[in-house]
Amino acid sequence: MNIKSLKIKELPILLILLLLSLIITIANPTFLTVENFLDILKSNLVLAMMALGMLMVLLTGGIDVSVASIIAAVTVITGQSLIHFSSNIFVTILVACLSGTLMGLVNGLLIAKLKIPPIVATLGTMSVILGLVLYLTNGAWITGIPDSFIEFGRITLFSFELVDGRTIGFPVQVLFLIPVIFLTWFILKKTVIGRGIYAIGGNLESAERMGFKADRILIFVYSFEGFLIGLAAVVHTSIMRQVDPNAFLGFEMQVIAAVVLGGASVLGGFGSVLGTVIGVSLFCVINNGLILMHIPVFWQKIVVGLIIIGSISIDMIQKQRVEKNKIRVDVE
Amino acid sequence: MKSGVKKLIVSKEGILFCIFLFVFFLMSLLSPGRFLSWYNLQSMAYQLPEFGILALSMMIVIVTGGINLSLTYTATLSMIVGGMVMANISAAGGNGILAVLAGIVIMIGMASLCGVFNGFVVAYIGVTPMLATLGAMTLFEGISLNITKGGAISGFPFEFLMIGSGTVLGIPIPMILFILIIVGTWLFLERSKMGMSIYMIGCNPKVALYSGVRVKRIIFQTYLIASVLAAIAGVLMASRYNSAKESYGSSYLLQAVAASVLGGTNISGGEGKIAGTVIAVMILQVISSGLNIFGLNRYLTNVVMGGILIVVLTINFLTEKRSK
Repeated sequence: MNIKSLKIKELPILLILLLLSLIITIANPTFLTVENFLDILKSNLVLAMMALGMLMVLLTGGIDVSVASIIAAVTVITGQSLIHFSSNIFVTILVACLSGTLMGLVNGLLIAKLKIPPIVATLGTMSVILGLVLYLTNGAWITGIPDSFIEFGRITLFSFELVDGRTIGFPVQVLFLIPVIFLTWFILKKTVIGRGIYAIGGNLESAERMGFKADRILIFVYSFEGFLIGLAAVVHTSIMRQVDPNAFLGFEMQVIAAVVLGGASVLGGFGSVLGTVIGVSLFCVINNGLILMHIPVFWQKIVVGLIIIGSISIDMIQKQRVEKNKIRVDVE
Repeated sequence: MKSGVKKLIVSKEGILFCIFLFVFFLMSLLSPGRFLSWYNLQSMAYQLPEFGILALSMMIVIVTGGINLSLTYTATLSMIVGGMVMANISAAGGNGILAVLAGIVIMIGMASLCGVFNGFVVAYIGVTPMLATLGAMTLFEGISLNITKGGAISGFPFEFLMIGSGTVLGIPIPMILFILIIVGTWLFLERSKMGMSIYMIGCNPKVALYSGVRVKRIIFQTYLIASVLAAIAGVLMASRYNSAKESYGSSYLLQAVAASVLGGTNISGGEGKIAGTVIAVMILQVISSGLNIFGLNRYLTNVVMGGILIVVLTINFLTEKRSK
């Protein structure tokens, strides 16, 4: 059963991922080294974590364009708390997740209680949050993050020595991503809330008639997304070792694009954690591959744009073909 | 007659217009002599049209039930391609007016190509508008960057600058263009058969199809028209800045969505009036100019704008709830 569902939904995009990896490896064998793999992993942990939050939002049929401003705000709060309050890692995580969750909660309340369409509500919170962040920080970088936190960010796991004598290993930040993937999967597949999320996205009215409390589920989804953004902010700060309030300009589109590449529908109801993980990987591999293949930076956007439109178009054409066959069967 | 006036005032557009008057007088009172100065009124008249045209372009797409995230990049891509041709003709010593005409024709042609692309992917392939135009946005931005290599195109003939800064009978040319476009889009959307079909598609595409509306063709044409409007906004921007760059006007993208929604357009389609969008654009312009005169930090202006969007929608929700 499991293999069968994998075959139908995630196989095409997995094949695209493998094919692309093959092409890039032929063009530049550096791609297929452990070092490059770890590089890709480290530089895309934030994208992956935010994509999982966005997946849940898209599943309910919503969208969140405020994610970039929320993570900008949380990184600033995290940075200030590290410098002026406490450099303890657990306190930092608590502060970041709390502030992220609160901002997500505001989105959730606006959408669930005031029935403001998600794209408009998050558009509003986006300009409010980003405006406040840039006003308060004046766009200046926050440096002087305590050494203990920077040391924490440098920890590697399962380290081993390369042929040339350097030691590399998994970045400690992976410890954030793995539980997040598992938790999102667990919520979506094994809990009533998860079933509710899919149900709302499929058809809000029937979901409510079935007894799902749509507004509670929506509030949960946006708050949970905020929580994940909080974690992502900690990861980002520990990797970058400083805070740039402008680092995430336009990042919301990348997050949405990665989730959509993974097969999630913006109309809600369709999408999976596995698909999103593959989608994010595809997104990262494309970006990494273009660099390794020495393609000028200016081409990257063109390639990414074409891949987004191309992959969704192919998907749609296939669906239309299936629909046509269905109708023919009905007539016969 | 009296009931007609009452109806007008109670309508969504009437309320919006009252808000506009209120904001306008508030700004005039709070900064006597400065907000109502000839200089400020004129600078608003030059800024308003490009944003207003982009908002109208976004609005007609939203009425079909779609959205166009590639809007500003359509405008910039076309202004870059057209601007390059114009600058080259001008540099080769060609006639200025001829260069301007060629440039504008190419800008509109390029935008039409963008519109055809979006329209084809959305209408005929059936990709969700948000995704199709998200991809197109990245694509157009990439093509623009490839042409400009991150710089700006400049060296336009003098005649081109007149479009953005000239006046006819004391009225700025952009304002005249804007008024013509308002009338044009109003006739198109609210007084033509095709406009009627657009509303029907926005309400329910399936029902529209069964009522004999050529849904695909009309969606396709709507994206095409919206892109041409974007190109006109692009002409104004390029002329005002005297250069063309891929990032010009990118902040207008989400503001255009906000203006449409503030103006009473239903984000899921089928509902919305040109007048509402135009008044919403004027409200936003008055507020941003006013706050600018007060010397409010420009980031805080964003906060206020976002706040207004949320507050207005909340009021909308509460009034609708009460009327139920």
